Amino acid sequence: MGSAVSLAAELVAAIATRASFEFEAWAQRIFRHQFERNAPYRAFCERRGVRPETVARWEDVPPVPAAAFRRAELACGPPEAIFRTSGTTDGAARGRHLVPHLAVYRASALGAFEHFMLPDGAHLTHLFLVPSPELRPDSSLARMCAWVGEAFGRDVEWLVGGDGLDVERLLARLADAERCGDALLLAGVTSAFVQLFDVCAARRLAFRLGPGSRVMDTGGTKGPERRLSRAGFLRACWTVLGVAGYCCVNEYGMTELCSQRYDSVLRDRFDGRGLEPRRLLGPPWLRTRILDPDTLEPVRPGEIGLLCHHDLANVGSVSVVLTEDLGRAVAPDGIEVTGRAAGAAPRGCGLLLAELGLS
Amino acid sequence: MSGWCETPAELAELVGGAVRARDRLGARTLGDAAEALGAAAVRWGTDAQLLADLPAVARLSPPLVAAAVRIAAAAIDTRAMRALVEHEFGAGAAGRPAPRGPSLIGHVLAGNVPALGVPAIALGCLVGAAVVVKSGHDDPLSAPAFHRALEAVDPLLAATVVTAYWPGGERSWEEAAFARADLVVASGTDETVAALAGRLGARLLAHGDRVSVAAVSREGLGRDEPLLERLALDIALHDQRGCLSPRAVYVEADGSPSPQAFAERLAAALDAVARELPPGPAGVEERAALRLLADEAEWEPGSRVLNGAGGLVVYDPRPAFRPTTGRRTIRVHAVNNLAALPLILAPGRVECVGLAASGPEVAALVPALRALGVARVCPIGRMQQPALAWPRGQRLPLGSLLGRPGPDVLEVEG
Repeated sequence: MGSAVSLAAELVAAIATRASFEFEAWAQRIFRHQFERNAPYRAFCERRGVRPETVARWEDVPPVPAAAFRRAELACGPPEAIFRTSGTTDGAARGRHLVPHLAVYRASALGAFEHFMLPDGAHLTHLFLVPSPELRPDSSLARMCAWVGEAFGRDVEWLVGGDGLDVERLLARLADAERCGDALLLAGVTSAFVQLFDVCAARRLAFRLGPGSRVMDTGGTKGPERRLSRAGFLRACWTVLGVAGYCCVNEYGMTELCSQRYDSVLRDRFDGRGLEPRRLLGPPWLRTRILDPDTLEPVRPGEIGLLCHHDLANVGSVSVVLTEDLGRAVAPDGIEVTGRAAGAAPRGCGLLLAELGLS
Repeated sequence: MSGWCETPAELAELVGGAVRARDRLGARTLGDAAEALGAAAVRWGTDAQLLADLPAVARLSPPLVAAAVRIAAAAIDTRAMRALVEHEFGAGAAGRPAPRGPSLIGHVLAGNVPALGVPAIALGCLVGAAVVVKSGHDDPLSAPAFHRALEAVDPLLAATVVTAYWPGGERSWEEAAFARADLVVASGTDETVAALAGRLGARLLAHGDRVSVAAVSREGLGRDEPLLERLALDIALHDQRGCLSPRAVYVEADGSPSPQAFAERLAAALDAVARELPPGPAGVEERAALRLLADEAEWEPGSRVLNGAGGLVVYDPRPAFRPTTGRRTIRVHAVNNLAALPLILAPGRVECVGLAASGPEVAALVPALRALGVARVCPIGRMQQPALAWPRGQRLPLGSLLGRPGPDVLEVEG
C-alpha cells in the first residue's frame, strides 16, 4: 500500500495548492490507480473497452452509477471509514462509500468549506444542526462538520442528539448570541432549519444574529417535514435569524463523494462580484458534467441532464459518479440542481433526522 | 352540455343542467342507453380530429394513440353493455330503466392512459346517473370528443354528461363539479387519491397505484403461439403507463426457453413491436430513470441488461417484484413454480395477471390471486384490452357506482 499512501499524501498536498491544481494529470493518474486496485471498477471499465491507455482525456474515464455503491465494494484498499447513504426504506439497499484515505476527504472538505463559507477568514461559533459523529459514525456529513468545527470553529456545539433536534437548547443559544451580538455559523440539514422556523413561527420568536452570521444548509426537504421552497427558506433565514440571503449557503454533497459544491453567494460577495446567478460552485479538484441520459454525452449549454461528478478526492474508491440528480450548467463555473430522475428514491442528508425518527 | 367553461360558476351551472337532464330521461331503458353509447363509441373511434390532436398532448406516438382509441372504442360495445347490465342487475335489466341510484357521479381521471373518460361516461350512463368527468392532464381531448359523438347520436342522453378539465387540486373547480355528486370515482396516484379522500370523504371511490404482471408456466412456454409478440404488445401499449401494463414477467425456470433466453427473445419482440408502435417522446426525467435502472441492474449479481430500441429488458434471477420506470421496461424473473407467485407479489397492489399457462394451472392460481387483491386474470396479449365489465379493484363496475357492497370480484378471461 506504500504507493497508495504516497499518492494520497501527494494529493493532499496538491489540494492545498488549490488554484494550480492540475486536474487533467491527476485525473489520469487516479484513474490508473483505481483501475489497478479496484477490481469491480476495473471489470466495469473493461466491459466498456476502457483501460488507462485508452483514456486520453479526463472525460473518457467511465462513470459508475451512484447505485453501484449499493451493490459493490468500490474501494482501492482497506477503508479507514465507511459512510452510508441515508434513505427511508430498505436499509440493505443503502449505498456504502468505503474511504481508504480520510486525510484526502478531510483536505478536500476543509479546503472547499473555507473557500466558500469562510472567505473572510471569520472565526465563528459553530452550531451544528446534525447528529455528531459519535451519534452517527456512518454519516459523511457529520464527519465533515466535525472537521470543520475543529479547524475553524471558535466554539462548537451539536444541537441534534438521540432525541432529535434540541430545539430548546438551540433557541437558548440563539437568544444568547443575539444578546451578546455574537456572530454564529449555523450548519445543518435543511429539515432541521425548517423545524426551527416552524417552532419560531408558532411561538412568535425571531432573532437578530450578529453581523457576519451565516447559514449552511444541505439536503433539502425530502423527509416527512414541511416542504419549503428555496425562496421561503431564505426569507425565513432573514425573518427568524436575521441572516441575509447572501449569507445563506446551500451545500450540495453526496455520501459517495469526498468533495462538495456550495452556493456561490458568499464567495461572490466577498470577491466583489454580483450575486446573480446563484449557482453551485466546487473546488478545482471537482468537475461536473451534465450528460444526456440516452447517450451519456454532454448536453447543450443550459439544457437539463444527469449530473456526473468527477471528484478526484475520491481517490480511494471511484472518482467519476453518475448521480440520480438532474441539473444544468449555470455560467461557466457552476451548476444548478433541478430535480431527481423519475422514480428515484429519496436519499441524502435531508433524511438524517427522519431516520432518527426526529423530525 | 358541452364541457368548455371559463369559470367554476359556469361549470356548476353545466352540472346542474346535467342533473336536470338526467331527471327528464324518466323511463328510458338501459338497453336504449347501451345502443346510444355503442353508436357513439363507433363514431368516436373514427374521430379524425381526435386522432390527429391526441398524440401531442398524450405524449404518445400516433400509432399508439390509434391503437388505444381502437381498443377503448371496442370496449363500449352495445352487446357487451347489455350483457353487463343483465349480469349485474338481473335478467331483463336491459329492458328496464336503471335501478334507483345516484343522480350525479363525478369522475377524476388519471392522466397516464388516454381515453379513460369513455368507459367512465358509459358506466355512469348505465346506472342512470348524470356524469361529470374531469379529464387528466395528458388527455383533455378524449372525453369531450366522446361527448360530442354522443350528442350526435342521442342528444338527450348527452345532456346528462359534462366533461371538463382543470389543473388537479384547484378547489373551486372541484367544488363546482362535485358538490352535488353522490359519488366521485378517482383514479390516480396514491398521493392524488389520498388528497381527494381528505376532501370528499366517504363519497370517494378511489383507485390508487396498481401494477400488473405476466407469468408463464413451462407449459405456456411450449405453446405454439406468438407469446412473446403478445407480451411485447401488452408492454408497449400506452407506453407501459397503465395499471394494466405488465411490469414484470415470471417465467418457470426449467422450461424451454430458459428465463434468460426468454428475456433475450422478449427484447427482440419489443424491438419488432416498436417498429409498428413507436414509443412517444420522453422527458429528461423519464429518460434518466431508464438510464439509472439499466445502470443499476448491471451491478446486480446475475442480472442481465438487454437494452434495445423497443425497450429495456432486465433478466433478474431474484423473484422479488421491484418497480420499473415504465417506458417499456420489464424485468424477467425466474421462478421454480408459478404457484409461488401469490407469495412474491404484494397484497393489494396487483390489478391484473396475464397468464400463459394451462387451464388447470390457471384454476389453481385463481383463489390465491383473488385473496391477493388481483381483479383480473387474462391471457397474455389481452392485458391492455379490458372489457367494460373489468371489476377494477375487485369491485363490480356498475354495482360499485350504486354503493352496493359486492364480493371481491376476480374476472378470469379465457
